[in-house]
Amino acid sequence: MIPNGNGKKTIVIPCSGIGKVQGLIAREAAYAAAAAGGGELLCLALLVSGDEEAVSRIRDAECITIDGCPKLCAVKNVEATGGTVAKSIQVIDVLKNHRGAELGTATKLADAGWAVAHEIAQDINHCESEVK
Amino acid sequence: MSSTTKVGIISCSGEELPEGTISRLATRRVLELMRPGNTVTICLPLFLAGNEAEREFARKHPTITVDGCNKLCAKKGTEKYSGPVSAALVVSEILNGKCSCCAVSAKDRSEDDKEAVWLVSEQIAKAVDEIVAGEGETCCSDEEADTVACGCSTPVPGMQIQVAGKSVTIPGLGLIFDHLAETGLAADDSSGEKLLETVRIYHPIEPEQEDDYRTALTSAYKAYRRQT
Repeated sequence: MIPNGNGKKTIVIPCSGIGKVQGLIAREAAYAAAAAGGGELLCLALLVSGDEEAVSRIRDAECITIDGCPKLCAVKNVEATGGTVAKSIQVIDVLKNHRGAELGTATKLADAGWAVAHEIAQDINHCESEVK
Repeated sequence: MSSTTKVGIISCSGEELPEGTISRLATRRVLELMRPGNTVTICLPLFLAGNEAEREFARKHPTITVDGCNKLCAKKGTEKYSGPVSAALVVSEILNGKCSCCAVSAKDRSEDDKEAVWLVSEQIAKAVDEIVAGEGETCCSDEEADTVACGCSTPVPGMQIQVAGKSVTIPGLGLIFDHLAETGLAADDSSGEKLLETVRIYHPIEPEQEDDYRTALTSAYKAYRRQT
């Protein structure tokens, strides 16, 4: 993983909500961003459970959070554990440009769901390249 | 199995490991296909960081945790906030090293991933059955469950087919058809036995109903494949 413009590493943290397609979109967007060099991944549940190593990792990094629903589990938990949220993405906001699209389910994305995930990943990687 | 019993399943869904993806998919499979009437779920981060309403979830439901690795985030978090869990499954232990080729992203899924998900989901369903058999009618009712259940755990809609002139709804039949189509099952009369064998995992079929179901499922599968 490449450090960002501040010399800090970037960690991408999706909510991975298990009940809605937006959670899966967040998860796949994080994988796509990480695969393209947009940052490291970190298990959100590990962070929320207070794992010392996970907490230490986010305190030494800048975090990009991706939330599927308005509960905002990812951004709230990163902030609550002392992390810096450099960018907070809400899938719901991105979907405003995809009204009526068949996104798939919480288990399997349809083509439109994958397109939204890749759009978010490109946004993350664009943001990354700007600060380098 | 009591139709009113609701077992909560909390998956770690860990993003860093394939086992986290498998825990998530296996949990979804049980919720949607295998035990849709008896299971509910909640997002683990929401549960861990949530308020009392969210934590009521595991106090009211007998709960199974599904962790990807031995850090046991789901089990430890659930026990910390809501008390002992009824069963704690660990994907890495269930698969015992068979996960080395598995992927984190759905776009890279292979037959190894699918088999891993099937294996883990079978274990979750078995744990659900054991809890339901033990708890019986003492478990919370559907009405109680609705007050604490995450709305997103609603089972997938069923598909109706005509069996011997009667309309029968089979939960997740579309997903079963999709899965069998992916495995290459032909949409012709030779598919009857495989369809029957797969559907009866999720839907009770008495021996004397087999012929009618075989015919109905074959017909429905052919029609489904023509539309998709």
